[in-house]
Amino acid sequence: MTIKRRTFLAGAGAAAIGSQLHVSFAAAQEKVVRFAMPQDFTRVYTFATTEYNQGQRDYASLVNAKGGVNGYQIVLDVSDHGNDQPRAIEAYERAKTQGAVLIDPLSTPVARALVPRVTADKVNLITAFSGRSDAADGTAFPYVFPMSPNYWTQAGLLVDYFRQQDGDLKGKKICLVHIDTPFGKEPIPVFEALGAKLGYSFQAFPYTPPGNDQSAIWPQVRRAKPDWVVFWGVAVGQTVALTEALRNGIPINRVSSSVWLSESDMDIVGRAAMKGLIKVEPCASGTSPKIIQDIIKTVIAPGKGAGDKAKVGTSYYNYGVMMAALMIEGVRKAFEKAPNGPITGEWLNAGLTSISNFDADGFMPATTITPQDHQGGGKCRIARWDGEKFAPVTDWFTANQDVVWAEIKKSADEYKKTAK
Amino acid sequence: MFYRRAGISHTSYRQERQLWPLPFDRRLALFVLALTILAPLLVDRLYLVGYLMPWVIWSTATLGLNFLMGGAGQIHLGYGAIIAIGAYSSVHLVRAGTPFEIAIVAGGLASALIGSIFGAAALRVKGLYLAMATLAMQSIVDFVITQVPAISGGGQASLPVPTATFFGIAIVGDLRSYYFALAVCLIVTFFMLNVRRASFGRALAAVREKDYAASILGVNTFRFKLVAFWVSSFIGGVVGAVLAFCYYRAVSPDQFHLDLSIQIVAMAIVGGVGSVLGSFFGAALILFAPILLNQAVGQAAEMFGLAISADLRAHLPLMLYGGMIVGFLLWEPLGLAKIYDNVRNYFLVWPFRHARH
Repeated sequence: MTIKRRTFLAGAGAAAIGSQLHVSFAAAQEKVVRFAMPQDFTRVYTFATTEYNQGQRDYASLVNAKGGVNGYQIVLDVSDHGNDQPRAIEAYERAKTQGAVLIDPLSTPVARALVPRVTADKVNLITAFSGRSDAADGTAFPYVFPMSPNYWTQAGLLVDYFRQQDGDLKGKKICLVHIDTPFGKEPIPVFEALGAKLGYSFQAFPYTPPGNDQSAIWPQVRRAKPDWVVFWGVAVGQTVALTEALRNGIPINRVSSSVWLSESDMDIVGRAAMKGLIKVEPCASGTSPKIIQDIIKTVIAPGKGAGDKAKVGTSYYNYGVMMAALMIEGVRKAFEKAPNGPITGEWLNAGLTSISNFDADGFMPATTITPQDHQGGGKCRIARWDGEKFAPVTDWFTANQDVVWAEIKKSADEYKKTAK
Repeated sequence: MFYRRAGISHTSYRQERQLWPLPFDRRLALFVLALTILAPLLVDRLYLVGYLMPWVIWSTATLGLNFLMGGAGQIHLGYGAIIAIGAYSSVHLVRAGTPFEIAIVAGGLASALIGSIFGAAALRVKGLYLAMATLAMQSIVDFVITQVPAISGGGQASLPVPTATFFGIAIVGDLRSYYFALAVCLIVTFFMLNVRRASFGRALAAVREKDYAASILGVNTFRFKLVAFWVSSFIGGVVGAVLAFCYYRAVSPDQFHLDLSIQIVAMAIVGGVGSVLGSFFGAALILFAPILLNQAVGQAAEMFGLAISADLRAHLPLMLYGGMIVGFLLWEPLGLAKIYDNVRNYFLVWPFRHARH
């Protein structure tokens, strides 16, 4: 069949109109709590999104299979925003029309762009491991919820772990190799402030985004003779950093990074070579935690999983489970406060800000979210790669929160002043 | 049919040279104008904020770039940077207390100034080299914005946009923002429609077709190219201000990366280089095709119970989108505007079939 121009155009037109027919939808459906999950499956955050989203959906399926919350089903509207802001804003507006009370875009640029909108519309914006770090201050950002340790906290925890290892950091040297973007530069003030306090010297080495070539930086790092190295990036930048660290003979058990390291990164660099590598862990990884076992039994085994079985229990999958667990705990709390709803952003906000000591059966640190603290306490643990998995080497702990909160307050106050 | 030409006789040059000599064209333009003005009454808020608003803004940006690409034949791969300069300048000015009326023009002027400084350097080269030079501009501007916290707005690199007041009217809410963006778009559209009929537009056309032939005719090619850069950058700067104050309300560097530049170039090409109407069509296609395809694929997957993986579900629309762009370029290389032109030509001579294209 030859395609005529007319056929092609008519087809394109019909598809455009057809896709809009359902907008008058099921908003009035009974007994659902709607979350919008427009995330980036195709552009920048692909390294994490699929697994993160899979974890979220599987956990929601688990809750729904058990009868939902208070008889309400949790509905996750998953779509792709491709890290493109007009698309994300469209997705947000659509979600709002459909009655979504929460949106989780998992993208820093999108989260930044949505902050003014969610604040005005009273929709809860989840910015786990992304977005503005100062959103931990709930008084400045009432509708933005990181609900996870921000980058300043992660830096603070790493420094404290180094201190635990060395006893004293006086006269030591910490080097930060970071992507040269606002995200990469973010932890620098915390490293500097702690350096002044603990007496270590600090040196930062930026590399150009996206970081697929860092060969000029790492020999400099080697010459600086650091006691500890922290590298700060995402996706390809992370594995390239590891390869270069290895090539420059920097001992891997002195190399560390944020939460953005996963098993698949280890596969790329080589599982055996990475033994001893340090990362910050916001929740347990692997399939042994009870909550993951529940998911495997109730959702995966009957074939209702949202994706590849092999991904269950990977780091990012578990991050997704962790965030979904927190969101749904927020729903539970909201029902405790107001059992009859109405299901609105404000209603869920009251629930999210009253999450207290929630640890999902030991799957994650006890998290308490208050109207002031949207970070949830800033607890994590340090894990080291043992060749097979990330094995925790500390218990859940928090440290240096005074420095972190000084940073949060400074930035949030600036925001409060400018945005009214 | 419709575009009836019979019985219309122009009795003065003025009449003959008006923008739309055919009454039907005129009425159609008025009808579309009325639709855009009444849109908030006709469509749901979702469509106003999620579709019409970005469409109006991106169309204005495409018009600005099309002035340079279609009008003067100069490629520009750094238009996102131009928009960024306008956005950041105007936001900083308003935050410093400058009235918005001045800030928006100053944003345009800042873009025009920086744009033409780069333009002056870039215009020493042509074609692909010009593309590279403008690409360099994009990188330099990106770099400066991210490296200077005073511009990007501190460590979080997100600059909240204050509420703007335009001659006593605060631009808050969806309606006012939409109408403001629409007003800017209309002004730029009328400028674009008219400039090609003026000596300036004709000089640019001469430069576009063959620059040394133009200089033999007495057109100072360097000067006109530079003025084209200036005007186009000015429009870009104003669009940046509109984008910041009416749409994003928080500016961050990633809104203006190379992606935006490529997107606008694509809009100009798919819509039809040099066409005013095409700028609107191109902006609509490039902005909305991914969204609509995504929804269509999602719906199809639900309706037919297709068990496709999340990955494929996300990438299938991209494949279709890619196919669509190739399709349009293959079957209508002159752009979407040409499709409208074909329809118009068909009806112009209907029921006969020999419209000359």
